[in-house]
Amino acid sequence: TMILRDGMCPGLDEELVRELRAADIKTVEDLVSSDVEEVAQKCSVSYKALLAVRRVLLAQHTAFPVSGADLYEELLSSTAILSTGNPSLDKLLDSGVYTGEITELSGGPGSGKSQVCFGVAVHISHHLKQRVMYVDTTGGLSASRLLQMLQAESSNVEEQMEALQRIHIFHAFDIFSLLSYLYSLPATIQQVCVSVGGGSVKAVIVDSVSAIISPILGGKQNEGMSLMIQVAGVLRRIAKDFNVAALVTNHVTRGGGGGGGEVQAGLGLSWSHVPRTRILLERTESAGTGHCSVRSATLIKSSRQPCHIKEQFDLQWWSTSKEGSAAKRKLDDSDSR
Amino acid sequence: MAESGAQLFARLEPRRSLKHIEPRLFPDDGGPDHGEVVELHGTEGTGKTELLYHLLCRCVLPAAAGGLETDVVFVDTDYSLDILRLVSILDSRLSAAGGLEEAELRSCLSRLLVVHCSSSSQLLLTLHFLETAFSSRPSLSLLLIDSISAFYWLDRCEGGASVSKQEEKLSKCSELLGRLLRDYRITVFATSHAIRRSYRSPDAPGSSSSSSSSSCSSSEGERPYLCRSWQRLVTHRLLCCRAEAGGNMAAAAGGGNKEQRRRQVFSVHCTSSSSSSSSSSSSSSRLKAYRSSSFYVTDGGVVFI
Repeated sequence: TMILRDGMCPGLDEELVRELRAADIKTVEDLVSSDVEEVAQKCSVSYKALLAVRRVLLAQHTAFPVSGADLYEELLSSTAILSTGNPSLDKLLDSGVYTGEITELSGGPGSGKSQVCFGVAVHISHHLKQRVMYVDTTGGLSASRLLQMLQAESSNVEEQMEALQRIHIFHAFDIFSLLSYLYSLPATIQQVCVSVGGGSVKAVIVDSVSAIISPILGGKQNEGMSLMIQVAGVLRRIAKDFNVAALVTNHVTRGGGGGGGEVQAGLGLSWSHVPRTRILLERTESAGTGHCSVRSATLIKSSRQPCHIKEQFDLQWWSTSKEGSAAKRKLDDSDSR
Repeated sequence: MAESGAQLFARLEPRRSLKHIEPRLFPDDGGPDHGEVVELHGTEGTGKTELLYHLLCRCVLPAAAGGLETDVVFVDTDYSLDILRLVSILDSRLSAAGGLEEAELRSCLSRLLVVHCSSSSQLLLTLHFLETAFSSRPSLSLLLIDSISAFYWLDRCEGGASVSKQEEKLSKCSELLGRLLRDYRITVFATSHAIRRSYRSPDAPGSSSSSSSSSCSSSEGERPYLCRSWQRLVTHRLLCCRAEAGGNMAAAAGGGNKEQRRRQVFSVHCTSSSSSSSSSSSSSSRLKAYRSSSFYVTDGGVVFI
């Protein structure tokens, strides 16, 4: 809601604001929705002057229409597909995570969501030489793990350090610090662009979004739901306006009555619409109880690929040296058949 | 407010009727006419977006490719418009009609105007701003809002304890839409997301139609939750859902997962309280008509069964 203030636009002086307020017109919305002729009479201001004020305010606060053709043109030149560094995941995602949209990894504890996020961050910073804004909400991010992954990529210490510097880490442990960080991201992204080290921000990772949001849902829901929708909104706007890929992680629940139903992404119906693409990560059944690092990934929401295609991959992929990776890739392929 | 001759002309100039936009979706002779509002409702993954793109493409495609050649305003409140997907649907429709020229695709896309809104205040102001577009472009006959429910939780929270305060913004938008519908004789299509879980399974916070049981027949998602003034505008309600998993079509395609998704069938139930020309005087007792249809989704868009 935008309260009318003097100086907001030419012609809107202190006196007019006072008179409008007396006529019960307090906000921009009120003025724009009002019958200008009637208000002009009530406030003893000229119809033309009031109409001009209305027109300027409307132009200041409206969203402007863009032609679909221009939008398409812009999208063609700006959309980037960022490889995750893992061939199996890239296959599910139709080559990688897309800038301009939100991709979600959902899965239970130990399904490898965070490991995938680390791997994607390392790949973007090291191979693509771009920057990553990494929001850790669980305390699960460890610099040594990132370094370990980078050491598998390169033996050059300087390169490792440069790559590490391109991953900007922020720890958020409650919804308000997450929101204030996200609201300040546009400014940060622009600053980072001109800072040393090269590369621009291409990805925002939030691991996990559900760890912060699920505690505030339930009970008297309005506020929690509203905060959740704000997180969704700001993430989507950043993704679109700054052309970055947003990658978030979510927990899972078992739907259908007694909890024995199908596995579903967490955070409920209102959140379910938020990500454009969603992948479900699971431990593989054949893995048994040993600490096997093989996981399965199933595409459960996509506008580009048929859903329910499934791939198996090894979480160790990102931390193994890629020498002789051709043979490794072949192995993965035959596994997934 | 005063009106210029040109505005009056634009207002009275007959706009394209969308009554026949998709006969397979609406009751016989009951498609959305001038001044009517269609609401598409459903949970995530029930084909709403695909259906919306199908209708949008029908509007902007040239007559030679089975389109209506009419201009569309797309109000994107969820930042969800996927132009690349839209283009691939347009591509396939254009090439099916013989030859695809880049210029043709572009002319389709230039019939589309897109606005992104991020709050209900901005939506209200933008609708006011769009009035000039409607009055100056008689070729604009459709206003799409995806979705009208986007700001529901934000408004509820901001409105505090008072329900009328919570609903104030959307009510104002609805009143304005009502006037635009009357004055410019446009048609409105809007999506609304299902936001409440079914009461039958309160312990499943993620409960959605993607569970194996079909949710269309149940009361889930049927109870409107948006403000009364919006409900009053709606003349056609399309309830989208997944058809029973393991239904004939899905089960028939035994060959792997890929094939199964291609055959995921979606159903739409249309409830139309559209007033046919004769009954417009007795609008208090509008006749209801129903229609059910099913479709599946391919790379080239929606295919009705």
